[in-house]
Amino acid sequence: MDEKDQYERYARQVSLPGFGMDGQAKLTNAKVLVIGAGGLGSPVIQYLAAAGVGTIGIADGDKIELSNLHRQLLFTTDDIGESKAMMAADKVRKINPKIICRAFGYHVTNKNAFDLFSGYEIIVDCTDNFTARYLVSDACRLLNKPLVFAAVFQYEGQVAVFNTPDANGEKITYRDLFPEPPSALSAPDCNIAGVLGVLPGLIGIMQATEVIKLITGIGETLAGKLLNYDIRTHGSMILELSASLLAKQLAPVNRKMYEAIDYEWLCGSVDTNAIGKDALHTMLADPLTIAIDVRESDETPEAEFMHIKIPLSIFDTFPEMPEFKNIIVFCQSGTRSVKAAGMLRNKFGNDKQVYHLINGIKGYNSQT
Amino acid sequence: MAIRVISFGQLSEITGKIFQAEVQNTDQLAALLRDRYHIPVDIKYMVAVNKKVITNNTLLKADDTVALLPPYSGG
Repeated sequence: MDEKDQYERYARQVSLPGFGMDGQAKLTNAKVLVIGAGGLGSPVIQYLAAAGVGTIGIADGDKIELSNLHRQLLFTTDDIGESKAMMAADKVRKINPKIICRAFGYHVTNKNAFDLFSGYEIIVDCTDNFTARYLVSDACRLLNKPLVFAAVFQYEGQVAVFNTPDANGEKITYRDLFPEPPSALSAPDCNIAGVLGVLPGLIGIMQATEVIKLITGIGETLAGKLLNYDIRTHGSMILELSASLLAKQLAPVNRKMYEAIDYEWLCGSVDTNAIGKDALHTMLADPLTIAIDVRESDETPEAEFMHIKIPLSIFDTFPEMPEFKNIIVFCQSGTRSVKAAGMLRNKFGNDKQVYHLINGIKGYNSQT
Repeated sequence: MAIRVISFGQLSEITGKIFQAEVQNTDQLAALLRDRYHIPVDIKYMVAVNKKVITNNTLLKADDTVALLPPYSGG
C-alpha cells in the first residue's frame, strides 16, 4: 500500500476539525498495550487498529470459547480453541496491515508487568478480574504510564483514565477508588452475573475513545473522573475522583515491593485448601468425600471423575448433605471455586472440610 | 432530613436504584446500609456527594444527592 492509500484510509478522520494530519501522525507514533482480548478488548483492539494506532500490543492467556462469541465480535465460530492474543493479532493485521501488532499469549502478572509495559506508552485495562486490575494499576503508577480503565457488571459499565494529571494536576489511580481489593466473593463475574453482549461493546468503544483522545489531545479525557453508564436507561453519571490517603499507604513504592506482593491472595482469589489432580483422586476414594461442579449447567467439558452439579448461581439453596464430611468444589479455571469454597465454609463452619481444585477443569485436563 | 441516595451495580439490587435516607452524614448512611439493608462489610463501594467522591465522613445537607458505586470486575 502506498502513501495515497494511507491517506485515503484515514481521510474521514483527518478531515475532522482539530484532528488533521497532526492527529494522524500522533496515532501512528503511539504505542498502546491492550490487556485482555475479551468483551472490552475486542472493540478496543478493532477501533484502535482501524484508527491507525501505530503499535498495538495484545496480552491475553485465554483461548477462545463458544460462550465468548456473543460479545467478543473480533472472533468467529471457526476461531474456537485458538489463543485470543494470537487470533486478535491476526485480525488486526487484516484490518490494518500497516500497523505493528504484537501478541503476548499469556496473562499479565506482577512478575512480567514491568518488562511488558516498558515498550508501551498507554496501557488499556480490559481484564475481567480484580487481581489483574490491581496489579495493572499498581504497575502503571510505578512506571508512570496512563491507564485507560473500563469494567462492566450486568447492564452497567465504568470508564476512567488513571495516572494522568486531572484538572488539579493530581494523578488518580484505581486504588484511590477502592484502596483495598474487594473479596472475590463480593463481586460476581460475567460467568455468574451474566452480561448483555452490547454492554462491553459500548463500554469498550468509550474506552477506545479515551485512548484516541489521550493520544491526539482532542476534547477532555476522563482523567480524575469515573463515568458510570447504564444501558437500561442510557443514564450516565460522571463522578469527580479524589486521591485517597489509604491508597497511598497500601500501594507498593518500588518494583521490588511490587513484585513481592501476592495479588491473588490480596484479591481473595486463592484458597488455602487448594488441591491438585492427584489429591482429588485420593480424596474421592473416601466415601465421605463428594466433588461438586459449580459451573453453570451449559459449561463444558464434563469432568471425568465422579461428581454432582450445583451451579454457584443457586448456592443459596445448597443442601445440607449430612452423608458427606469433605466437599471438593471445582469450576472452569479455579476462580469461582474459591468463591464457592468460601461460601460453603461460611455455611458449614467446622462441620465439613471444603477444598477447591486448583485451576479447575482446565488445569485438570492439562495434566497428564 | 431526607437525603436522596442513588446506588449502582449490585448495590442497587439490594437497596433499589433510588432511596431516601434520614441521615446527617455519610458515616450514618454507611451504618444505615448495614442495619437496614444488611450490606455485608466485605462489599466495597465508593461514596460520592453531589458527584464528588469523598474519602472521609462528610456532613450532608437536605438537597444533597449521594451516589454509591461498587467496583465492577467484568470485561
